Amino acid sequence: MNPSLILRSGDDRLSLKIPRRTLGVVCILAGLLIGCAAASLSLGSHPTSLGDVASVLAGSDDSGLSLIVGEIRLPRVLLAILAGAALGVAGLLLQGLVRNPLASPDVIGITSGASAAAVAVLTLDLAVRGDALLPLAAITGAFAVALVILALTGGHRASPGQLVLVGVGLASALGALITFMLVLSGDASAMNAYLWLTGSLYAAQWGDVIRLAPWLAIFLPVALVCARQLDVLALGDPMATGLGAPLSGYRPLMLLSAVALAGSAVSVAGGLSFIGLVAPHMARNLVRGGHTGRLVTTAFLGALILLCADMVGRLGFAPRDLPAGVFVAAVGAPYFVYQMYRLKR
Amino acid sequence: MIAPIPKRPAVRFRRIAHPLLLCLLAALIPVACADTPKRIVTLFQGATDTALALGLQPVGVVESWTQQPAFRYLRAQLGQPTFLGLETQPDLEAIAWLQPDLIVGAYGRHHLIQPLLSRMAPTVIADQVYDFKALLHRMGEATQHQAEADRLLARWQQRVADFRRQMADKLGDRWPQTVSVISFRSDHARIYYGGFARIVLDELGFDRPAAQDQDGWGIKLTSQESIPTMDADAIFIFMVESDPAVMRTYRQWTAHPLWKQLSAVREDQVFRVDPVTWNMGGGYLAANRMLDELYDHYRLSPNTVSRECPQC
Repeated sequence: MNPSLILRSGDDRLSLKIPRRTLGVVCILAGLLIGCAAASLSLGSHPTSLGDVASVLAGSDDSGLSLIVGEIRLPRVLLAILAGAALGVAGLLLQGLVRNPLASPDVIGITSGASAAAVAVLTLDLAVRGDALLPLAAITGAFAVALVILALTGGHRASPGQLVLVGVGLASALGALITFMLVLSGDASAMNAYLWLTGSLYAAQWGDVIRLAPWLAIFLPVALVCARQLDVLALGDPMATGLGAPLSGYRPLMLLSAVALAGSAVSVAGGLSFIGLVAPHMARNLVRGGHTGRLVTTAFLGALILLCADMVGRLGFAPRDLPAGVFVAAVGAPYFVYQMYRLKR
Repeated sequence: MIAPIPKRPAVRFRRIAHPLLLCLLAALIPVACADTPKRIVTLFQGATDTALALGLQPVGVVESWTQQPAFRYLRAQLGQPTFLGLETQPDLEAIAWLQPDLIVGAYGRHHLIQPLLSRMAPTVIADQVYDFKALLHRMGEATQHQAEADRLLARWQQRVADFRRQMADKLGDRWPQTVSVISFRSDHARIYYGGFARIVLDELGFDRPAAQDQDGWGIKLTSQESIPTMDADAIFIFMVESDPAVMRTYRQWTAHPLWKQLSAVREDQVFRVDPVTWNMGGGYLAANRMLDELYDHYRLSPNTVSRECPQC
């Protein structure tokens, strides 16, 4: 049996190769994601039956349940899916871009830029959690760091190594700045800042979902188009140039997509780390072949990781609602150790 | 401020009705006066304290910072409320299930969830968690216990005046005394320029060292070289004494030669006080207990108004 499905347009101008394995993995992940979302919608401090959830979603239930399911649980589930997918894809783009499996939005300074801006706003008492200024500051911080990285590395001519080194350097400088601001701040604002830094989907509301969705609507397709170039890029710059890949055009575009996806996700969900690092690795283990299939798999995995982490934080310690970031790290770190162990063998 | 709130007929009725008319109606139909909020949810420590001071038992409260799940000084009156998790991220679903008719939160903590809260019930959002008098006033208004709130506030003012008079008599020209409010944490020390204890002390007429006459909550000290800035006629220390790391910091700092040179230390005027009443409680009852401690501490004769607050 042919391991791939091949779709061609009538005149052979467009074709699409879909490995069966990738298709299978994506279907399974989609099933898991739907299952987790359903569980997350029906579980809570007082569980609701799936039937009730369905009737609320269909809009036929007007009781107090519609507040709990429709306004408290549903936006949170959607936000977890969107933010997780965005962070995963951003990680994949960066890893391909700099040809370094350790690259991710948090390693390369993008998350740090967003965090530093958010912590500055919180500790200077310019805003508290829930103000519109906070996500705005965070995403501005993410883009500012990307610009600084580009400026310091000479823009499109930058080699992957330069990008990583400058990014890591900026990340640690910003880390120091964050610590400095936390030390100077009072109890209340420091507490808010810590919660933000851990990354939490607590009190996610429809406004957050609406704020994040457009970024994914624009930059996920862009990332999908770029993914093909990542396959060529993986062969090394000279080979890629020799094959005619327009590197100087695609590199800034890929960097822009990664920053936009990671920055927008972090701006609504806080300083989540590890998803951008771990999801692409998991995808690499699950599917072979090109970056296109890997990108789709990564998006589903990122969404699944964040959704599960948030469910554990919300339900596992009820009535305490713990930040999802704690559990993302709790899953991410052991997986990374496992990955190292595999590499050694 | 009371946030813009659900369109409940009862609330609207309250707005348009003249109090006299309301009472007349109340005499006729007792049910109409069931309008006062009965199911109160308090989302920070000071709000729980204040509700109990007003004689109201909240149906849902957040966990305390220490002595979980509730501060010991409140337990007897608290009954069996539903605990809603931590003050920073209370369980929203659990609040909704309680079907409250009043929710009390604080701006710095609950601004994020305020849109959701005000879908569930009328909300009172305090500007500052430590401003216990403003909170008492606003909660009294929202629960239609204005008279009780005013009475408690008057009682507080009376106690303050009595304390100031007795202190002036007792200390003579050593009054007003300058005092520092210090706290030790696991990895640093703090001087408070603001916050609950400091505003109560200010109101009681205590002075502060010139170096501490600053805006903001206070300062975190990580170097023991800054110990001299703690000096004052008297030093009050609160810390979580059950935490070994805190006590280690405390021993290290108080063993330092600079500490021994502080005039408060040489005069033996350093006092350890209860962190729950001095810092975490943050409500009317906590303020009164803090004042009780000060009466004891300065050996003043307990004044007579104490009896007028059954909850204190």
